[in-house]
Amino acid sequence: LSKCVVTCFQEYTLSEYLRMSGIYWGLTVMDLMGQLQRMNRQEIIDFIKACQHECGGISASIGHDPHLLYTLSAVQILCLYDSLDAIDVEKVVDYVKGLQQEDGSFAGDKWGEIDTRFSFCAVATLALLGKMDTINVDKAVEFVLSCMNFDGGFGCRPGSESHAGQIYCCTGFLSLTGQLHQLNADLLGWWLCERQLPSGGLNGRPEKLPDVCYSWWVLASLKIIGRIHWIDKAKLRRFILACQDEETGGFADRPGDMVDPFHTLFGVAGLSLLGDEQIKAVNPVLCMPEDVLQRIGLQPDLLS
Amino acid sequence: QHGRVKVKTTAQQEEEKRKEREKKLQIYVAARDACFTKRKDGVFDDEALQLTQQLLSSNPDFATLWNYRREILLHLETVRNQDEVQKIYEAELSFLESCLKVNPKSYGSWHHRGWVSARLPRPDWARELSLCDRCLSLDDRNFHCWDYRRMVVKMSGVPVKQELDFTDRLIGSNFSNYSSWHYRSTLLPLLHPQAPDTPSQCGNPPPSASPQTHFHRVCEEQLLKEYELVQNAFFTDPNDQSAWFYYRWLLGRAERDEMISCVYVSREEERVAVAFSRPVNAQSVGLLLILDGQPQRVEWQSVHPHFKNSPVWICSLPPGTISDVANEHNLTVHWTEKHSHRDCALYTGRSESWCRDTATDLELFRSELSVEKTSVLQSELQSVRQLQELEPLNKWCLLTIILLMRALDPLGYEKETLAHFQTLKDVDSMRSAYYSDLCSKFMIENTILKMEYAEVRVFSISDRKLTTLCHLDQLLLVTHINLSSNQLQQLPPQFAMLQCLEVRIGTLFFLLFFINLNSEISTLADLQPLASCPKLKRLDLRGNPITQTTNAEAELAGLLPSVTDLLL
Repeated sequence: LSKCVVTCFQEYTLSEYLRMSGIYWGLTVMDLMGQLQRMNRQEIIDFIKACQHECGGISASIGHDPHLLYTLSAVQILCLYDSLDAIDVEKVVDYVKGLQQEDGSFAGDKWGEIDTRFSFCAVATLALLGKMDTINVDKAVEFVLSCMNFDGGFGCRPGSESHAGQIYCCTGFLSLTGQLHQLNADLLGWWLCERQLPSGGLNGRPEKLPDVCYSWWVLASLKIIGRIHWIDKAKLRRFILACQDEETGGFADRPGDMVDPFHTLFGVAGLSLLGDEQIKAVNPVLCMPEDVLQRIGLQPDLLS
Repeated sequence: QHGRVKVKTTAQQEEEKRKEREKKLQIYVAARDACFTKRKDGVFDDEALQLTQQLLSSNPDFATLWNYRREILLHLETVRNQDEVQKIYEAELSFLESCLKVNPKSYGSWHHRGWVSARLPRPDWARELSLCDRCLSLDDRNFHCWDYRRMVVKMSGVPVKQELDFTDRLIGSNFSNYSSWHYRSTLLPLLHPQAPDTPSQCGNPPPSASPQTHFHRVCEEQLLKEYELVQNAFFTDPNDQSAWFYYRWLLGRAERDEMISCVYVSREEERVAVAFSRPVNAQSVGLLLILDGQPQRVEWQSVHPHFKNSPVWICSLPPGTISDVANEHNLTVHWTEKHSHRDCALYTGRSESWCRDTATDLELFRSELSVEKTSVLQSELQSVRQLQELEPLNKWCLLTIILLMRALDPLGYEKETLAHFQTLKDVDSMRSAYYSDLCSKFMIENTILKMEYAEVRVFSISDRKLTTLCHLDQLLLVTHINLSSNQLQQLPPQFAMLQCLEVRIGTLFFLLFFINLNSEISTLADLQPLASCPKLKRLDLRGNPITQTTNAEAELAGLLPSVTDLLL
């Protein structure tokens, strides 16, 4: 598996528009496997430095525009390396703060796309930097809660259909802002555990195919709301392992498909949440090794 | 990168492919570098539009290129006349349509389309709505398209009724359409809101309602029509979860008012406990305590440091204020934010007092289902039971029957409910832990109801296979608790809400202890939540594996100093 991650780093021109997240996925897998030292630390830190813009935001790659998605990935990577001082943290905080809208929501960048994913990116970035109090948290919470649906889940914007990825973002957001009590955890937990299909794999919405990345979005959400035992862990574990490619060690969305770093991280992180002892413990809110968060002194709330 | 099948290839094929990829990559890199150079030089011309178009058609997630296009378009707005601008943006929409045909799930393309539509000098929203119709006819679950549709509807003022009719059509052609059911859940409360203060009447839709106002309130007349529609759906395909999820929502629309549900005062401890209908942060909601007409300066504390928001809060009164049993005292707690308050009188000679609405008064555990007329629920139950006769092992049907029974008569149907839970666990074993927890919740609710009908402060629920403890905020006044012979693995920190608890009996770590908790220290620490029950004197742990722990008695004495009578 570790070899696979190293290989992935050599073929990536076409996906440079998300490279910063790609690096975060790869490095987090390596750290969870206790192999972080195999990656070129200095090269990566220099790359991140070069991706910080005048406005404070960080882009996916050099020559690309800054965005909250990659700002969070960059901050996560720097936390793995305990090197936040490599970038101008004050400016990152200003950038995040500047993207909050009047209704409490966050735009992904200056072009104004609104999405609860960006609400999560904003508070996760600020939580890792210890600067949560710089935004209007009450307003931000109000917006996320306005995206809650009839099934207890969340979508991208008010009125949008529930989706496991958005639910992960919103439960993570409510954890970081200390507002998990606002959830209808029993109703949401029911919807989430109904994502498990006879194959053991999880889908992201009703009537959809299973996918390894949802083993993370759904499982982490269930962990955050204290109901991870509502799915059949042994069956899910077998499904995730069936998605590992024997040749490369990486993970695909479904058994037999092409592997990539995205699914590899979420497969490995899912196995960690399921209690796999070969893998370091992963934090369900930030998808980072628990020992890294302990070093930072960040302990997001979980429901019991 | 979803759904790409991995194919085995020969070395020769591999080599050919590699060459082809390399060629494509060279073209891509050249175009990308040309774009970046032009942008750096501040060039906003047609060639740049061409180049970005070429790249974005095959790589629509390259967000920076969309940004560059927007910069070019904004520039063109300043140098061209309105008709020309209209033409440029129309061409942009055609280009976007071709992008969406290739990749209908690209965030970048959809966001750009919304941006263009909003800047178009003469927008054609009808065209946008028909684009959504076409796109949804190809994939009725595409959430990007649904979200775009909602934006179009909002921008152009499409009547809510027209959108509801649209979901009628989609559901009519395919019941199994979760996206449409979801959309209905946001539209119905807008079109058929429940009139305020007259729960069963239909009101007029408010002029500027957002989907979140009166979220759970739909008037009764419309509800009956919805029941019929959704029944058609699950009778047609009893295994389609979409209709069942929607049905559970329709049945469970009542919400509790925000209020102070209980005020408790203890003379000897000079302590006040306040329970709320939902978790709050009493330190920030403006909670005011008046004692005999005098506002008191008190510090509100959550029952457990773990909960910044809690349904139960406590405070200590200044020493001596109420300690003399010869005096009568009147307390009022004001929740200023919600204009809610509750009085409580502590009479002469009494050591404690409380004032509250009981769970039975509030029909608390029925309100998870609706305040619907019994006759309506009864006929719903009848219909679902008919379906169950045809489909005896259908889990959706079984669960719905349980929910309806609880809405109608939770105690009367207890036995049947338990039997249905057993069947559920057998037919849907992957989710057996969910059913166990739900069953535990219902058994706890029934026990609370029984306790309140009997007007006692003893909560006894033994040998009911409980796997979880909940509703502990309802047990604020309980003095004796018996949880023996259940399958609980741990005490939740919410246990601290039992502020009056004096006696606790029972095996906690029965059965599951052996599997999950093998560290002796952690098991003793699991009793930590009991340390927050100030009155706990007697604790019976006989039969618990932790009694085998060396030094159990000494360690427990350290952990729970208030307990004087410990049975191991």
